Amino acid sequence: MSTHHSEDAFKQVIPPVAKKETASRGSKATGKTKVRKEKPRQQVALGISPLSKIGGYAGAIIAALVIALPLYFVVITSLKNHADIYADPIKWVPSVWVPQNFSYVWNTLNFDQYLMNSIIITSILVVIKVSLGVLSAYAFAFIKFPGVNALFFLVIGTLMVPNEITIISNYALVSQLGWRDTFTGIIVPLAGVAFGTFLMRNHFRSLPAEIMEAATMDGAGFFKTLFKVVLPMSWPTLMAFILITSVNEWNQYLWPFLISDTGRVAPLQIGLTLLQNNEGLTNWGPVMAGTILATLPMILVFLLLQRSMIKGLTAGAVKG
Amino acid sequence: MNISRRHMLGISGLGLSAALLSACAGTGTSTSSSGGQEASGPLQFWSNHPGSSRDVEQKLIDQWNADNPDDQVQLIDAGANYEELAQKFNAALSGGQLPDIVVASDVTWFNFAFTEATTPLDDIWESEGIDTSTYVDTLLGDYVYDGKHYGVPYSRSTCLMYLNTDLLAKAGLPTDRGPETWQEFAEWAPKLLEANGGKAALSIPDGSNYLDWYFQGMMWTFGGHYSKEWDPTFTDEKTVEAAKFLQDQVKAGHIVISKDAENEFGIGNTAATLASTGSLGGMTESASVPFITAFMPGPAPGCPTGGAGLSIPAGISDERKAKAAKFIDWFTNTENTIEFTQATGYMPVRQDAAEHPDEAAFLNENPNARTAIEQLSENTASQDYARVFVNGGGKRIGGALDRIVAGQDVTEVLSSLQEETQKVIDRDIKPHL
Repeated sequence: MSTHHSEDAFKQVIPPVAKKETASRGSKATGKTKVRKEKPRQQVALGISPLSKIGGYAGAIIAALVIALPLYFVVITSLKNHADIYADPIKWVPSVWVPQNFSYVWNTLNFDQYLMNSIIITSILVVIKVSLGVLSAYAFAFIKFPGVNALFFLVIGTLMVPNEITIISNYALVSQLGWRDTFTGIIVPLAGVAFGTFLMRNHFRSLPAEIMEAATMDGAGFFKTLFKVVLPMSWPTLMAFILITSVNEWNQYLWPFLISDTGRVAPLQIGLTLLQNNEGLTNWGPVMAGTILATLPMILVFLLLQRSMIKGLTAGAVKG
Repeated sequence: MNISRRHMLGISGLGLSAALLSACAGTGTSTSSSGGQEASGPLQFWSNHPGSSRDVEQKLIDQWNADNPDDQVQLIDAGANYEELAQKFNAALSGGQLPDIVVASDVTWFNFAFTEATTPLDDIWESEGIDTSTYVDTLLGDYVYDGKHYGVPYSRSTCLMYLNTDLLAKAGLPTDRGPETWQEFAEWAPKLLEANGGKAALSIPDGSNYLDWYFQGMMWTFGGHYSKEWDPTFTDEKTVEAAKFLQDQVKAGHIVISKDAENEFGIGNTAATLASTGSLGGMTESASVPFITAFMPGPAPGCPTGGAGLSIPAGISDERKAKAAKFIDWFTNTENTIEFTQATGYMPVRQDAAEHPDEAAFLNENPNARTAIEQLSENTASQDYARVFVNGGGKRIGGALDRIVAGQDVTEVLSSLQEETQKVIDRDIKPHL
């Protein structure tokens, strides 16, 4: 199974980063204001006119709104009762706060079971995919053997095959191995990695060859070079890879849906559909509450990884 | 979720060739699974829990399991809606272990039957001595293809008009009935509009929420049809007239097409809505306005039946088929259909259900639920082939209606719909008839 959804995941990851950027740009700008008061000359030097500054702020605010508004609505809807959700005109603040939506989700859904399944599936997949991705990329970047490029393009080629095409045959295979409704059945077909290989290999290639040579001269072996030299220099890319993989696997829907039969191994995304009514009224409050609960772990992962991503970036900048 | 819709389209398109595909998968054959399906495991009941019925389904199954320790049944969450269930079933047909009982909706059962994915039930009924004479005839008759039954009615619904009685009274209209014809509705609408501060009188779900199903009844009252048997009749002048009526009413602000029509009604945004009987339970619980249910405007028939039945896959062993048939018979028997329908709002599928003291008491307390049962014999008809039997029909028609509602030229949209449908019929259906 290819990882062609990675691009989607990439997009999903981008907005928070962009937001961060605008935020830091904003703070930089305010920093400049202070500086400007002391040394008015610098304003000229940097060419920041008040007009372009206003434009910059407006841009930042619009960008923040575009991202924040839908998020705000998800959060606020999760705390509204049924009548408020459909109130006309729109209610920006619930007239009655209904945190019960969250306890409803937790209690009626068997939420902890689904959450545990999601965590198991995602973490195993991340470990497998990252290991495979890094090792294969390392091989592609540094081992010379006949047909290395052809093989690499073959791997990249799987990125071009839509997931949908392989689903039927994967299903038949997994089903006949007796893996339906098991973690193995969900995980193994999703564990193939091409995007990561592509990403990491290109990054490894961009590393200065001198450092690798120096490591070899210092007596570092093949794997020691990987873990002590190459990977530490690739931290930001690796973190991005891990992040994309986690988000991507966390949000898997179609494949786990086909393979799981009961709540035993189904991830959260499938559990959430039980909140929606097939033919009739859906109460969106609990659905939104469930969505938030399902998103939180990924936000946590992002916050954790993002720190080391920045650490890595600055480390590189100093060394560079 | 948005991925799954695309997948669904793709895979349901593959549905017709599922038999071929299973060979292509190359990892096994359907013959091996027909005999090889382990005969000892519990029966797999694949359900999407129509009308949020998971709890009541599980309760009934627990009862069955307690009484039949040798023939256990396991309830499987097989999707968020009928389409997802069909998708999962199609995947299983490609060479996996098959379920023993599947929920098949009005738009999916025929494809299952047509591709021989599900088995005809008549012989099994005969050999197992199962009595089907007490099913409501029209509901059971909906599952006949080529003279054989491919399903049993389960969660069956019709559409109803739900009306806000406060607004009816305010508009000076009768509060104990709905409009008798769509022309009468057009007369009521301005009054309802005025009574509700200019908000649209009637909300109808949009094309991705089965507008094609609701509009079907409206169209019938104009004398129009989606198709006559296998001949699409979208360009028939009566069909066009009905579509124009819909477009005009939307333009006049009388009707609003909305993704969440029921909720609009439930909070008093519109004076009336068209919704499935399956919504009755949820609506009673959550609507903040007093309402009545009424027949769809006539003249009869002004309303299609819908909802889902239960089918048995063709690829399982005869022994399991027989067990599944017995379970289905029990699962939809008078007592159980009463329990199921009272929990959801669907219609009882057995004739004698209405006379059962439990049901009689329930209906006396819930006159809104009675409307559906009365409408069934007076105002309904089976659906047009072009919607339910042609692959992707419902979606195609729903999409076209969305364009009409948005203001595109009615004749143009309908003629291209006519062409497309004809193409699909010529390609997928005609060669196999």
